Amino acid sequence: MHLTELHRTTGFRLATLFLALFGVVAMLLFGYLYHEITGFEQERIDDWLKREHAELIREDPSELVVRFKHQDLLDPRQQRPFALFGTDGKHLAGGNPGDRPPIPQFDRPFSMRLENLPKRPPGRCIAAHLADDRVALQCQNTRELDHFDEELLHALISTALLTLVLGLIGASLIGISTMRRLDAVTASIEEIVAGNLSRRLPMHSKHDDVDRLVGVVNGMLDEIERLMHEVKGVCDAIAHDLRTPLTRMLAGLERAQRRTMTEPEYRAVIDETILETSGLLRTFNALLRISEIESGVRRQGFTSVNLAAVADDVFEFYEPTAEDKRIVFELTRPAIAPPDMQGDPNLLFEALANLVENAVKFAPQNGHVRVTLFSDANSFGVTISDDGPGIATTERRAVLRRFYRGEASRHAPGSGLGLSLASAVAGMHGMSIQFNDVATGCEVTFFRPVER
Amino acid sequence: MSKVLVVEDDEQTLAEIVEALTDHGCTVEAARTGRDGLVLAVANAYDAIVLDRMLTGGLEGLGMLAALRSAGVLTPVLILSALSAVDERVRGLRAGGDDYLTKPFEFIELTARLDALMRRREAGPSVQEYQVGPLRVDPLKREVTRAGRPVPLLPREYRLLEYLIQHQGQVVSRTMLFEAVWDYRLDERTNVIDVHISRLRKKLDPDGSSPMIDTVRGSGYMLHAPD
Repeated sequence: MHLTELHRTTGFRLATLFLALFGVVAMLLFGYLYHEITGFEQERIDDWLKREHAELIREDPSELVVRFKHQDLLDPRQQRPFALFGTDGKHLAGGNPGDRPPIPQFDRPFSMRLENLPKRPPGRCIAAHLADDRVALQCQNTRELDHFDEELLHALISTALLTLVLGLIGASLIGISTMRRLDAVTASIEEIVAGNLSRRLPMHSKHDDVDRLVGVVNGMLDEIERLMHEVKGVCDAIAHDLRTPLTRMLAGLERAQRRTMTEPEYRAVIDETILETSGLLRTFNALLRISEIESGVRRQGFTSVNLAAVADDVFEFYEPTAEDKRIVFELTRPAIAPPDMQGDPNLLFEALANLVENAVKFAPQNGHVRVTLFSDANSFGVTISDDGPGIATTERRAVLRRFYRGEASRHAPGSGLGLSLASAVAGMHGMSIQFNDVATGCEVTFFRPVER
Repeated sequence: MSKVLVVEDDEQTLAEIVEALTDHGCTVEAARTGRDGLVLAVANAYDAIVLDRMLTGGLEGLGMLAALRSAGVLTPVLILSALSAVDERVRGLRAGGDDYLTKPFEFIELTARLDALMRRREAGPSVQEYQVGPLRVDPLKREVTRAGRPVPLLPREYRLLEYLIQHQGQVVSRTMLFEAVWDYRLDERTNVIDVHISRLRKKLDPDGSSPMIDTVRGSGYMLHAPD
């Protein structure tokens, strides 16, 4: 963002908004104070004028000339010019020389310019008709008071200007700081969009709202990165797993092309190719099915199904295979049958079949495989245990990933998709797959918590 | 020779299906839209119809099937679909389909299922006794004898044999067996059935007698009288 766009930043806008609000409030406050102070001063002067006026009325008019002259002597700066005017308006005595000015009202204070004094100061006056028709005008020179008012006003304006300048500078600083931060965040986001997924948004140590947001976004980025890695892992695994049969197929076909073969030999090559191709097709189908199951599309096909019945069928399905390996294959049912659940019997069969098949595959000759149904107050499900090589604790999460082959099973036949499918099926049925800690072999539980 | 109608809008898939069915010994007619298919199916007597679930141009597969059934045509219909979800299959079967096959499929699976569909129609009411060569099966007592000697079978083995006998001389795919005998629909991992078959074989073919169940490479099994 450019500096010219500073005014668009939230920080700047907020700061100026507060500045404006503060300015209005301050102005109102100062205005009120100004009004009160000047009003108070005028009231004081008016009070004094009224007192002087009352005193004047009570006095003997004949003594006034002397008194006013005396007063004039005492007031060389002509702060309080009193003047006495004759009936014809001529000045008789006092510190306000010249003819009688026009008087708007009598016996009540009024403001006027003291025209006859040097620099025509403003004044507050009260006029009185004396008994002998002369007019007495008593005034207070208010120049100093006005000076004070002006000073006050000046101070106010300069403070306001200072506040404005400081406020604008502050707003700009805040704006620039937020702009810098946002610029940094934007730059990071652009870098991430451009493909650098390991980049994270910059975090300040302020722990403010923006930091909280940045923290959440960074968490999201971690998750996205993890998923991307997983997808990449899956892609790599697919590429790797499919390259092998494709290479075999190609080699066979090239061999057939190179050599002159008899018909049965050609047939054999074709059969081999068909076998490999259908194997590849099956792998792809399995992958698609896992995605389909994970996306939960199949949930619409749910019916009421009992896990015990499915487990029975799976057990029976694998009995001959286990027997061929001379494995002791046992099924244990609980006293209370597990409750019926909503589910897809075909998928549950497939998931359990995958788990049992793994157990039978990895159990040694003459080994043991136990399928145990259980149902209690908290959960129900099936536990399958074997005495094969087991799964390392560190690999327990990974084996549920597509194409992942555990260290112990790297050379065993299989697609590496069985457990991912079982896990996907578990997920869509609200069930879990859990590997238990056992001394030897592998024990996996496929279970569902009981709904209360 | 069986007469089959194929309704499929994708040229290439259509050509491949027609070829596979012709190789299988069927007379094949093709329609590229639901409308054409409906007209043909109503006008001619086919032994079976292969119907694509998703058809472009007006009438789609299930719509055509419903129209066909309401017109009183009961020709067995095998639905092909790219949708594998179970409820899609259920919908297809409810609309009047007799079997459902998910794309991509192996052609041997298609022909095996078509054969089963056509045979189902031919099969009369319940049979009193099956006899294939020296093998006799009494479905009521569930008793099996070969050349007079009783063959003791477990219930599942019996059902396996019964299905194979009902489709004797026909290729039966593993998935078909699995569906019929275990009542689950499963496209993967059906190789375990081989173990069951080999057990059945051991019981059926005592030492020295010629085998009755052939393995058809890459697809399934066939039961026939021993050579």
